[in-house]
Amino acid sequence: MKTKARIDSIRKRQKIEEKYSWDRVSDSEEERHSHKIRAIIAAISITAVFVLFVFKLYELQVTNHEYYLVKAENNRIKIRPIQAPRGLIYDRNGKEIAKNFNTFDLIAKKERVKNKKVFFDNLEKVLSIDEKEREIIEAQFSDRKLKDITIKENISLEEFSKISVDQHVIPELELMPKLKRKYLHPLETSHVVGYVSKVSEKDLDSKVVKIYEGMTDVGKIGIERFYQNLLVGEPGFERLETDVQGEIIRTLKTNKPKRGLDIYLTIDLDLQIYAYELMKEKEGAIVVMNPKNGDILTFVSAPGYDTNLFTKSISTKDYQELLTREERPLINRVIAGQYPPGSTLKPFVGLIALDEDIIDDKTSFNCSGSYKLKNNKRPFGCWKKEGHGGTDLSYGLTQSCDVFFYRVAELTGIDIISDEIDKYGFGERTYIDLLGEASGLIPDRAWKRRVKGLPWYPGETLNVGIGQGFFLATPIQLALATSIIANDGQTFTPHLLLGYKDIKTNEYKKYEYEQNKYEVTIEDEEHLKIVQHAMWRVVNDANAGTAAGLRKINNMVIAGKTGTAQVYSLDAGKSQKKSLQDHALFISYAPYKNPEIVVVVIVEHGGGGSSTAAPIAHKIIKKYVSNKETVAQK
Amino acid sequence: MRVITPGEQKQRLISGFSALFRVDTKLFVLVMTVTVIGLITIYSNTGGDSNLVIKQIVRILIGLTAMVFLAQINPDTFRLFAPILYTLTLFLLILVIFFGVGKSAGRWLDLYFLRFQPSELMKIFVPLMLAWYYSDKPLPPRFIYLVIGSIFVVIPMLLIIKQPDLGTALLIGMSGAVAILLVGMSWRFFIGATISLAALIPLLWINLHDYQKQRVLTFFSPESDPLGSGYHLMQSKIALGSGGIFGKGFLGGTQSKLEFLPEHSTDFIFSAFGEEFGFLGTLILMILYLFIALSGLGISIKATDNFGRVLTGTLSLTIFLYVIVNVGMVIGLLPVVGAPLPFMSYGGTSMVTLFASIGIIMSIKSHQRILRK
Repeated sequence: MKTKARIDSIRKRQKIEEKYSWDRVSDSEEERHSHKIRAIIAAISITAVFVLFVFKLYELQVTNHEYYLVKAENNRIKIRPIQAPRGLIYDRNGKEIAKNFNTFDLIAKKERVKNKKVFFDNLEKVLSIDEKEREIIEAQFSDRKLKDITIKENISLEEFSKISVDQHVIPELELMPKLKRKYLHPLETSHVVGYVSKVSEKDLDSKVVKIYEGMTDVGKIGIERFYQNLLVGEPGFERLETDVQGEIIRTLKTNKPKRGLDIYLTIDLDLQIYAYELMKEKEGAIVVMNPKNGDILTFVSAPGYDTNLFTKSISTKDYQELLTREERPLINRVIAGQYPPGSTLKPFVGLIALDEDIIDDKTSFNCSGSYKLKNNKRPFGCWKKEGHGGTDLSYGLTQSCDVFFYRVAELTGIDIISDEIDKYGFGERTYIDLLGEASGLIPDRAWKRRVKGLPWYPGETLNVGIGQGFFLATPIQLALATSIIANDGQTFTPHLLLGYKDIKTNEYKKYEYEQNKYEVTIEDEEHLKIVQHAMWRVVNDANAGTAAGLRKINNMVIAGKTGTAQVYSLDAGKSQKKSLQDHALFISYAPYKNPEIVVVVIVEHGGGGSSTAAPIAHKIIKKYVSNKETVAQK
Repeated sequence: MRVITPGEQKQRLISGFSALFRVDTKLFVLVMTVTVIGLITIYSNTGGDSNLVIKQIVRILIGLTAMVFLAQINPDTFRLFAPILYTLTLFLLILVIFFGVGKSAGRWLDLYFLRFQPSELMKIFVPLMLAWYYSDKPLPPRFIYLVIGSIFVVIPMLLIIKQPDLGTALLIGMSGAVAILLVGMSWRFFIGATISLAALIPLLWINLHDYQKQRVLTFFSPESDPLGSGYHLMQSKIALGSGGIFGKGFLGGTQSKLEFLPEHSTDFIFSAFGEEFGFLGTLILMILYLFIALSGLGISIKATDNFGRVLTGTLSLTIFLYVIVNVGMVIGLLPVVGAPLPFMSYGGTSMVTLFASIGIIMSIKSHQRILRK
């Protein structure tokens, strides 16, 4: 049995044993026993390790199962939002103002791009890409958060077909369909409707606006912003199973998006466009409001701007141009433009004086062309140098006599005026359904001390009496105040929302204007009648009215008040330089009995209210009447 | 002399397979069960692609052939060839340093008709060499023999670290340590050696490659680098943990199928299996491995000479050590070193050498001389 090797090794061992004679002789039985003990110790050791591992596995798989299960699901399942079509915006007659259209974004899947240089070379074969665009694309490559790279947004149909044909050249590319907003009358409706644009950090912080996962666009301004939560709908989502590369394996679940609600505005698009045309080459504002319910039929801030520029991320150049243009198109003049109301404030000053029993309809002051206040060196002039002679309230309004209102203001005093005039809506936002409204300014003693650090001077009271000086009002405030006079002391908060409709259920919900009644207590109804009559005379007293040049329209009697607000200095009115000319204002309502519309027109640096603003209001009322007749004929 | 009763004789004849091929039935069944579990897991991981499974079956068949072949050979022949095989493989390891091929590290030797990792062969030849060396020494050996035995372990280790393949080097080092422990190193000496080795760690650290350092660092805080090396461990734990008690079921694993679990059919196959078969599955698998090691140890106790004892003891303990290193890695108890799971991981050389180890164990069992009482 013994092989040569065995014999050799035994011989070798014997040799060693001879050499080291103190070596113990190998004891087979002892070695066997010793090995057995060591083997048993080894067995116990590995069993101990086994137990330890089983405990660890138990902890992982049984104790912490839930924790790891969630992690595994997070690995595997991705939620992809589906864009909800935004609600459309219509005017009061159902004419489309804002709609959606289909467009495509050209994207590339990052993980599919193996060689960047080859990718760019191929890309240039299909698309023309300039240096700047290339830089933006490269920047997206280094952004680790991005999985897809947007090569080009909103590509044209022509490019679309070209890319579709050439797609085999660059298989990394994909076309992502997307809904984009389109404004049909961007310039005319810019300040009412506003626009949607990319969601920004600020939007994410907003507590009011709901930002859904995966939402790309959000209303930034105007109706689009104010009613964002109605328009936005609810995005749907897909639960996708993806692999480690993010490739979709299958769709687990799809929740369809809910389309946003369609909004109907109180705006009459025809009238709106017409009014905007009238303001061409001018800066200013036009508001047409129904005093009986607060509907805003026309809301023009001129000039407008192209809101469609903003929906496809506006270029810095275009944006700078809009920001720096002298006409300042981005300002919403109707709600944020604060103007001295000029003579258009006189009816309200007169009403307060009547209510406070400071004057009555018989009270008469003599106008000699100017009025000299005690301790004031310089006299306060009337626009009519030769004077109006004996003037009562009605004649003072009809002729817009400044001296009469200097006297009224002096007698009433700034404290009563500032206390009382706010009931007509001045000095406070109207709470129209738009953001960014200015509150105007009613100056008083406390205000002057606080802001200017100076006491109130009596001469300043006189200036307030004719709507000059520190007093500021927005066009929408003037529209509200005029509505109060027109509708016998009560009207409704101006609003742009007529109602909204759920396209799916066809359920229409009307805006309930009745809940926002705006009522003013006027001591004596007779006082209102006096002022209303005077405003009738402004337009209809052929001999005296400052706006008597306006023709009557189809038995539609107009009442109004002109205003010319001075800019900078007293001499500015005569300057030929446009920026130094006066603002032209006109507030009006029609018909005189049972009014349907209030029209406020402000033309910046337009010169006289009667020569510039009143004819515009007249044209608008005429258009309103003719529109109404065509509707009636139908 | 022990008398074999007729009943026992009959028993042996019934298990004719065992008698004929000198195959130990118990060990064979245990190993084959694990191997089949491995095949099932690979099949599931690839989403029902039988391509890999067939390749793996071919390797298993080669391994089985090697096992049966080695089981026939008399242990004396192993002893005769031990120094030659060891020296030859040492030479191959040196060749690898100069001519090695491989993706990240040159571990493979390309012989045109055959590509293999000499370092894998060392997993058998180091225990074989030590068993040979101590077979004619009186045990427990004197200090000088321990030093010489250690040198047999350290030389291939250094060559393998050079490749660089830290994992295999450590495994070989551990199997050497197991052999030396088994031959009868005194425990006091063993503890002393461990402490002095620990003192050598800084020296080792300096000589580590950057990626090896990274692995060690990641082991201590896997969350510090969730997208890098810690990613493997995190995903492995997620796979195992999400399996729960009963698992997600055959073909139900998502971590493995969607490739979140890297190396799901090789180094991390245990996690992939645990995801689909849960704690019950991993428990059974661990028991199977424990039984393989214990029955190997049992054979080593019954062996009739030092050569057989050291060789079987070392080989069976080494197999379990591999399990510890791999499973310890995937459950986060040990650092991530690229070490396959015995009999399960997809891969050729390791499968063949492991079956060869089993074959050697079987040979020693079946050739044991009847003990004299």
